Amino acid sequence: MAAVNFDKVVKSFGAFTAVHGLDLAIDEGEFVSLLGPSGCGKTTTLRMLAGLEFPTSGEISIGDRVVNDLAPGERDIAMVFQSYALYPHMTVAQNIAYPLKKRGVPKSERGAMVQKTAELLQLTELLSRKPRQLSGGQQQRVALGRALVRDPKVFLLDEPLSNLDAKLRGYMRVELVELHRRLGRTMVYVTHDQLEAMTMSDRIAVMEGGRLQQFAPPTEVYRAPANRFVAGFIGTPAMNLIDGEIRQSGGTWQFHAPGLTLDCPPLLDSARPGPACLGIRPEGVVFGSGPIEGVVQVVEQTGHENIVVARIGADMRLTGRVGAERVWQAGETVRCGIDIDRAHIFAAGAAGERLNRPGLRPVEAPAVIKAAR
Amino acid sequence: MIRRVAFNLFAWGIVLAVAFPLFWMLVTSVKPQFELFRRPPTFLPETWTLEHYIRLIQDTPFLTYFKNSIILSTATTLVVVAISTLGAYSLVRFKYRGRESLAFLVLFTYLLPSVVLIIPLYLMLVSMGLSNTIFSLVIAYTTFALPYALWLLRSFMAGIPEDLESAALVDGASRMGAFVDVILPQLLPGIISTALFTFILSWNEYLYALVLVNSDSARPLTTGVMNMLVSSFNIEWSLLMAASVMMSVPLIIVFAFLQSYLTRGFGAGGVKG
Repeated sequence: MAAVNFDKVVKSFGAFTAVHGLDLAIDEGEFVSLLGPSGCGKTTTLRMLAGLEFPTSGEISIGDRVVNDLAPGERDIAMVFQSYALYPHMTVAQNIAYPLKKRGVPKSERGAMVQKTAELLQLTELLSRKPRQLSGGQQQRVALGRALVRDPKVFLLDEPLSNLDAKLRGYMRVELVELHRRLGRTMVYVTHDQLEAMTMSDRIAVMEGGRLQQFAPPTEVYRAPANRFVAGFIGTPAMNLIDGEIRQSGGTWQFHAPGLTLDCPPLLDSARPGPACLGIRPEGVVFGSGPIEGVVQVVEQTGHENIVVARIGADMRLTGRVGAERVWQAGETVRCGIDIDRAHIFAAGAAGERLNRPGLRPVEAPAVIKAAR
Repeated sequence: MIRRVAFNLFAWGIVLAVAFPLFWMLVTSVKPQFELFRRPPTFLPETWTLEHYIRLIQDTPFLTYFKNSIILSTATTLVVVAISTLGAYSLVRFKYRGRESLAFLVLFTYLLPSVVLIIPLYLMLVSMGLSNTIFSLVIAYTTFALPYALWLLRSFMAGIPEDLESAALVDGASRMGAFVDVILPQLLPGIISTALFTFILSWNEYLYALVLVNSDSARPLTTGVMNMLVSSFNIEWSLLMAASVMMSVPLIIVFAFLQSYLTRGFGAGGVKG
């Protein structure tokens, strides 16, 4: 059993609280990403799991063991750092062998284990080199090798791909998923890159301001964001978020914003009339026909599709994802509409929770999310 | 072109100005006594002799002083490096109240002129029964080499990524293990700079040695040589020059060895992150 459990974990640095009462239950063998913007507490969470920071309160357990008071080396984990943290004065072979040496593996066995890991990661040629003689991608593989050499219970990865170029990053993503499948170990992956989180994870824990916003499989995070923050954070281009209010007349709910009135998607029973926010992904925006009139401002051509930004009224913008066959020109007047079955309604405020019922209509698979960079 | 020539001339002028006294020291030490005060002076000695060196070693307590200086400087260097390495580690890695002010307070002691401290230090060493020993000088030199050493190593220590240590901890090392396996090798250039600084400082120090030590058996080179060769009536120039040459030699050797290590060390540190 190597499930990971956070129970009401709080971490404060002086007056600043980095993590507020985190509850997170990661299943054995699961690949979980901690996703969020800088300073959201994801790295602190990972470092607490590694034993490099100690929680102010709450309990962290790995498997059946509460690890709060265990030193990093006693937790049976391995970690890959964003900076790789290779020991510069040691050769690649020594780097990979270090965790074995520290755990008292006899020297005679170490060589074979290092060799095996090196073969797995195609590092055999590089074993006698020093880290500074390696390229970024090679250093990354050595860091991975140091983690893999000793079959730990849980792998912790702290933005391991962020220093690689885009092509190599794409390659390593596939490698990591493959590795996870083969090893079947629990992996906790910290990233600010939603593409990595979406493509690799079994589940994503979206964090913001030291709080867990949503913990769900990638498709659910995308299709049924738990609140306005998750809605705005996940997806490129970002979801259109329109501030307005919801009103109830008779049995039907309507969303009102300046120049815009729409029937709401089915709402939760807890919904009350008042300020609210309508969220619609660019693929839910229809260009070419519809009740709303706008002016095309920017057209981004990606080849297989176009991203069109239109100005509606005085200060509202609507981003749509449209086919590449029709070329829109900036300044052109356009009619657009919103596919209300794909719309979300959120309570007012930066982290207002979702007010519409999720999953009433099967939504086609999310369109390809474009890399953030 | 002209500017380059002018610059080169200027640079060589400075080199000559610095090197000439050293050259004169060397030349004087190998001139026979009768040639020393001849007018006009000879540039290169007409007769080369090592008689001053032989006299120095056979007839004077020079070797005792030399041994004292070696013991003194080595001991001071070891103590200072050991304390400042651990101190710098604490100042950089551990978080506790007053850490920054402590560091500044330490630097502040370095700003005090050493003359101010000499009397209190002397009284303290006397009451501890340490006066007139080499050990008293080790303590005295440590007090004023340590602040600078601490600051020097602190900046070196701050340049070592914390991730390296974290990685060692996760890999199963204890804190001390991580310090020895990962931090120390990274810190080597800093440790060498610090050791060099401390060694030179204690090798050349004069004032404290003069005040704190009065017995011939414990005198270091600086005061020993002055005491033995410079009196109110006479200065033994030839012996003084020979002694000076022999005093400089260890430093030059140490420097020559470590200098290459220093430059090599500076480049070796970082893996880009």
